[in-house]
Amino acid sequence: MKSSTDELQGELTGGAAEFERRARQLLSESVEGLPADTRSRLTRARYAALSSRRSWPRSLARHWVPAGAGALAAAVLAVMFIVVPRQESPTANPLASAAPEDLEMLADSDAVQLGRDDDVDYDFYEWAVGEAKGANAPSLGT
Amino acid sequence: MLAFATLGSQTSDLLPPGKAHLRESAQDGARALESFLAEVERKAFRIAQIALRHESDALDVVQDAMMQLAHRYASRPPEEWRPLFYRILENRIRDMQRRRIVRQRVMSFMPWRGEDEDDPPDPIDQAADAGPTPAAQIESDQMMQSLEQALTQLPARQRQAFLLRNIEGLDVAETAATMKCSQGSVKTHYFRALQALRSKLGDIAS
Repeated sequence: MKSSTDELQGELTGGAAEFERRARQLLSESVEGLPADTRSRLTRARYAALSSRRSWPRSLARHWVPAGAGALAAAVLAVMFIVVPRQESPTANPLASAAPEDLEMLADSDAVQLGRDDDVDYDFYEWAVGEAKGANAPSLGT
Repeated sequence: MLAFATLGSQTSDLLPPGKAHLRESAQDGARALESFLAEVERKAFRIAQIALRHESDALDVVQDAMMQLAHRYASRPPEEWRPLFYRILENRIRDMQRRRIVRQRVMSFMPWRGEDEDDPPDPIDQAADAGPTPAAQIESDQMMQSLEQALTQLPARQRQAFLLRNIEGLDVAETAATMKCSQGSVKTHYFRALQALRSKLGDIAS
């Protein structure tokens, strides 16, 4: 026994050491003298423990793989129903679907201001049209 | 040897032919675990039996502890198995004692309880094993009964320290690892147990 050499052994006085020795002897005899049916049941219990270890990875897979698959499916559904609706649709924000060149044109302050009638010099355009017609008309003097 | 075969087949079915060394290693591990359990099972049973005073409960507790070790700690280094196993065993013993207390409390409220429990114990069950035994054996049995009776009256930690040392032969460091306390606490529990047992039994050593 390991205990015969450890530090406790040295700290026991004579009577205590003898008592310990006798108690240990009695306990050892009781272990060795276990009835045969108890020893047999212990052997069966040991085999059961070792056999259950053999089936442990399989039982683990049998229980945890379906649970993992269910958790994965739940996570996918959560992403579909919670995260996706938060993305705004293209119709809600037309800028989201605009081409980059369109955005550049709209942002350009020097570009022609379309759709703002108060800024359009209609008199100039009428004069220019009239001038153009006059220039294209056949000259009466020639 | 049946367990060796079943444990060996577990890995041999799964490993490719080139990994024979892994198969051999797994078989060695299974053999080592079985050897360890075979070595400790009777001592563990006696520790559980003394604590619980019930053979079937003690067997259940030992089997649970063996299963727990095989399931969860078989991959740990073999030198760690012993303190782990006895720690699991003590936890199972404590769980069983708690369940008994709860069961007794529940049963005390049951109006229909007690008819069979109040029956006197069957003398055949209580009788010692038949067969002629030498006088020395009788004396030894009586001393063992006295010791066992005195052990059951000790506080749990003192009894645990005493049995781990004197049945399993753990040293102070191993006992401390098993009991999850300091080595100084182990010594204190042990000496108090020894003192209490000597005061009750006195001449057991004579």
